[in-house]
Amino acid sequence: MDKSNYRDMWVHVEHDGKAVHPVSLELLCEIRKLCDQSGDALVAVVPGDVTESEQEKLLACGADKLILVSGTGYERYNTEAYSNLYTVLSRKYRPSAVFVGATVNGRDFAPHFAANLETGCTSDATELIYNPETKDIEFVEPAAGGKIMAVITIPVLRPQVGTIRPGTFKCVPTGKKEHVEIIREEVSFDPAAIRTRLLGYVANEFDPELDIANCETIVCVGSPVKEESLPKYRELAALLGGKLACTRPVVDRELLPYKLQVGQSGVMVKPKLYIGFGVSGAVNHVTGVDAEKFIAVNKDPAAPIFNYCDYGIVGDMDEVCDAMLAALKA
Amino acid sequence: MLKILCCVKQVPDVDQMRMDPETGNLIRAGVPAILNPQDANALSAALKVKETYGGEITLITMGPPNAEAALRECLAVGADKAVLVTDRAFGNADTLATSYSILSAANTQDTFDMIFCGKESLDGATGQMGAQLAQRFGMAQVTSTLLIKDVSEETGTAVVERELDDGVETLEVKLPCLFTIEKTNYPVRIPNLKGKLAAKKKEITTVTANDIPDLDRGRIGDPGSPTKVPRMFPPVLPEPGVILDEGSLEATVAKLVDIIRA
Repeated sequence: MDKSNYRDMWVHVEHDGKAVHPVSLELLCEIRKLCDQSGDALVAVVPGDVTESEQEKLLACGADKLILVSGTGYERYNTEAYSNLYTVLSRKYRPSAVFVGATVNGRDFAPHFAANLETGCTSDATELIYNPETKDIEFVEPAAGGKIMAVITIPVLRPQVGTIRPGTFKCVPTGKKEHVEIIREEVSFDPAAIRTRLLGYVANEFDPELDIANCETIVCVGSPVKEESLPKYRELAALLGGKLACTRPVVDRELLPYKLQVGQSGVMVKPKLYIGFGVSGAVNHVTGVDAEKFIAVNKDPAAPIFNYCDYGIVGDMDEVCDAMLAALKA
Repeated sequence: MLKILCCVKQVPDVDQMRMDPETGNLIRAGVPAILNPQDANALSAALKVKETYGGEITLITMGPPNAEAALRECLAVGADKAVLVTDRAFGNADTLATSYSILSAANTQDTFDMIFCGKESLDGATGQMGAQLAQRFGMAQVTSTLLIKDVSEETGTAVVERELDDGVETLEVKLPCLFTIEKTNYPVRIPNLKGKLAAKKKEITTVTANDIPDLDRGRIGDPGSPTKVPRMFPPVLPEPGVILDEGSLEATVAKLVDIIRA
């Protein structure tokens, strides 16, 4: 494969018919920087209809081209039509890279079309670097539970496919380009070949206890937490006007639900106050925390969490929690 | 009878991995290998389907010979038989090469109506295997499956709930289909003594590269893997924060509370 035949970086635009998903705008803004270095055009690919005002948002993020795709099969999300669309268009246009927001549906079709194309797919990079010598994208991502960072490349094949978690990059639009191109494509998929049929949809009921993405204080417990100690951390969170959350190992032990998992593979949080108890500080976790005041309690003075915190206490998490409860109630 | 394939993986317990502060390398020695936690949830879903509708569960894993331990663990809670895909030629595979290898090995055994996978592995954590396996098998897929509500062999369909970012959709899907399972409704089953004894007698079939006719060796292992890992490095740690120590726990916590209230 001659890599020089593959140009331009694509961003899949996820939308619900009304609004573009924020992750698509985040990706456009970040990939704009890569394109400025590589000389590729930045292309936003939009399956189905979005309004002109939403198209303008895509252009404001610096897209050089929009590919608006019409046809049958896109009325609701399904693996087959979306995978087919990127398979067909990638063969036609030969993009160098395709980026997809790692929403539930993005993670569903991106690896699928990458396999269709027999190319590589990476997931959850936290940093993207363009290497001008190899002309490859370096996908930097936490590995082994965040103990180490791995650089992943797709050195031979194209396109380079990557899914990126929402909230990984910031949406900072650099403005509309002077020359933009709107391309209309029709890629129809036979609805009879879609093997799923939608029977119903129920929106999540809003549960304030699980809404950790938008709360101002988070008390986060890590893997050493004892099941019987959970109530006191919940009490501490309540006293501080916040919510209880946790790290992945706590969810793996089925002590708390997945919706309370903070981190890259869980919920990205941006509280005013974050207090981590027994949290080791794995990269996957800390990249999901954007706190104004970051406090860590851990009995291991060498725990990486102390490098991310503003203030730390080296000590037994339960004893510190008890003392905090006493002090706050005093 | 439903023929069910359940894909599992033995992984290093990353929570017990430590980094060598001198070299920045991960210390793998002494780190126990465990059954990938989310695969245990997928197996629970497969078992529930088997118990409700009848069926036979075949496990498949790719890994070193000692991955047999993970298979025995799954056999002990009710899977019927297992396939261990093991060969140095399969080593260093990324998800694309692994999906082709699993397809090729599974095809030497049987065809399947339902395939169950965990949502992601503890070590690689790409979450890609399910979708890539479904592509390889050419079957439908439902990722983030919350609940298998009904399975009908007669109509060749299943009704399932799928967890989205903002809600839950109910889908009817044509079989054969691959499901990746959310753990919510499928807690891990713990083997009992009887199960463990029964597991010892169950059959594990080993499949090597040579056992697979027409295997394309360019599509397995390192040569078949388009993604590469040119380098690893320890996370760059920011400068440490202020460690509070006022002599006693009470005084230290009082100081912390002042900071919180500031």
